[in-house]
Amino acid sequence: MIIRGKVLRVLPDDTNTDEIISGKYKYDVLDIGKLAVHTFEAIDPSFYKDAKKNPGSILVAGKNFGCGSSREQAPRVLRECDISCIVAESFARIFYRNSFNVGLPIVECKGILAHVDKEDELEIDLDGGKIRNITKGYELSFKPIPDFMQNLLQAGGIMSYLRKSGGYE
Amino acid sequence: MGKTMAEKILSRKCGRDVEPGELVVCEVDMTFAHDGTMPLAIQQMKNELGTTKVFDSCKVAGFCDHASPSPSSHISNVHTMMREFARENCIDFYENGDGICHQIVLERYAAPYKVIVGADSHTCTHGAVGAFATGMGSTDVGAIMVYGKTWFKVPESMKIEVDGELGEWVTSKDLFLSVVGDIKADGATYMSMEFVGKCIDDMEVEQRATLTNMAIEAGAKLGLCKADDKVKEFLREYGRGDEFEELYPDDDAEYLSEIFIDAQDIEPMIAYPHRVDNVAPAYEFKGMHIDQVCIGSCTNGRLSDLEIAAQILDGEEVCKDTRLVVYPASRSVFIKAVERGIIEKLLEAGAAVCAPGCGFCIGRTVALGDGEKALSTQNRNFKGRMGNENAEIYLSSVPTAAASALYGEIVDPREVL
Ligand code: SF4
Repeated sequence: MIIRGKVLRVLPDDTNTDEIISGKYKYDVLDIGKLAVHTFEAIDPSFYKDAKKNPGSILVAGKNFGCGSSREQAPRVLRECDISCIVAESFARIFYRNSFNVGLPIVECKGILAHVDKEDELEIDLDGGKIRNITKGYELSFKPIPDFMQNLLQAGGIMSYLRKSGGYE
Repeated sequence: MGKTMAEKILSRKCGRDVEPGELVVCEVDMTFAHDGTMPLAIQQMKNELGTTKVFDSCKVAGFCDHASPSPSSHISNVHTMMREFARENCIDFYENGDGICHQIVLERYAAPYKVIVGADSHTCTHGAVGAFATGMGSTDVGAIMVYGKTWFKVPESMKIEVDGELGEWVTSKDLFLSVVGDIKADGATYMSMEFVGKCIDDMEVEQRATLTNMAIEAGAKLGLCKADDKVKEFLREYGRGDEFEELYPDDDAEYLSEIFIDAQDIEPMIAYPHRVDNVAPAYEFKGMHIDQVCIGSCTNGRLSDLEIAAQILDGEEVCKDTRLVVYPASRSVFIKAVERGIIEKLLEAGAAVCAPGCGFCIGRTVALGDGEKALSTQNRNFKGRMGNENAEIYLSSVPTAAASALYGEIVDPREVL
């Protein structure tokens, strides 16, 4: 899978799930479309509008992106904001798992922060493990995603994967 | 080659030797969700898999704990939906006021060698009794509820060996805050944090559960302590002595990293806004006014926690400018605390003692005002966590919180008690 898009935001280390989507909404809204309006609300109020204006954008982040609670509303709202991929120095474990489960491509790439600015255009080759910064003409590689997880992404998430394969083997 | 505790459990589950980094599919012995995560799990089962039937009604439970007792009509409707699902499936269902999922799972379900997956990040708590317990999202748990299985990456392990004894008024909470201050919030990402050494051996399960509960704050997949005589005693106390089985790491187990700590070096610690790994000794905050002190949560709301708070507050009065809120972690904790006169002492000192549940921890039933500062025994101090983005949350042990409630400001319990 090849993903191409512009970098909408460059986020710091340890961006947590409370910042992505505040816990105060998760009880009130089961409708992800309505919930997504509040994405990054407390720290970046214009995020939702900007993301919607630029569908297919990429997020770049520092270490431990998505730490904190297990709320999978976090990757869901980001997908709902039309984010096509997140590239981070590293991800928190539950967020990492949840992203594949909901079909949101994410890539762990050491050194990414040093080579990307907001608005840069990136091309990400998930199978080949390469990120090309088209704006800066720079290429970085990352450890390719295990087959099983690529299958999850291709199926569109864990549920459609299980539905199609009728369970685990 | 020897095995860590996590490797031992997964190897037995898979019926073969597994290695860190491998992806394995294995059966889950118990799974659960709460009012913050269960509605989405049910919705996913229904919409994506076309079923609302669970694989085994004895291995699934639901909890109304995060917003409990329900503070709004909307949440009451969410609870109704969960109740219907529970009734249809004949699963164990815990009502408003029964307590926090992790405390109840510890009391009633967790045991050595069990694989437990909860739709809540602090599911790692159950490693305190030797379970392979980890948190996942609602979709993962919805899939487990239907198939009874899930996939895991076998984690690498980090050994945390703590020798010696903790000083007076120093607790396992202070120990964990020191560790996360050193290794940082991503220091154990994907790993099994395995706590060993004399200091851990000496701890009761309740104190160990504070360590394993917070393993996720260092990014770990799980936290584990040995299943030894203390675990046996704990299970027996809850009528489950027959579920005991020893679990130890092998002497020649391989760890990705090892940390050695002398318990004597640990001091009462504070995690200051807005990160759990922002830590400093309590005395550095001396004199800082606190508007609300909160004692409870799945980290520090157990009987021994309330007991120590009552011991400190006995016959004293909470400072006039400070509110003290106490949430026992479960109904059984609450009942025992009433029987032992603990609740009476807390009430007489001026505490608001509320129905068991998550309460203040996420600001659903008790929220902070603008510009307020809270000192809490919970596990997270993220911005906005207690219901207000313009408030500050400081984290501490129970002794530090209780002593600070008396003074209305942060104190080092060793200096004032
Ligand atoms: S007490 Fe707090 S940390 Fe524990 S389960 Fe409840 S909300 Fe989560």
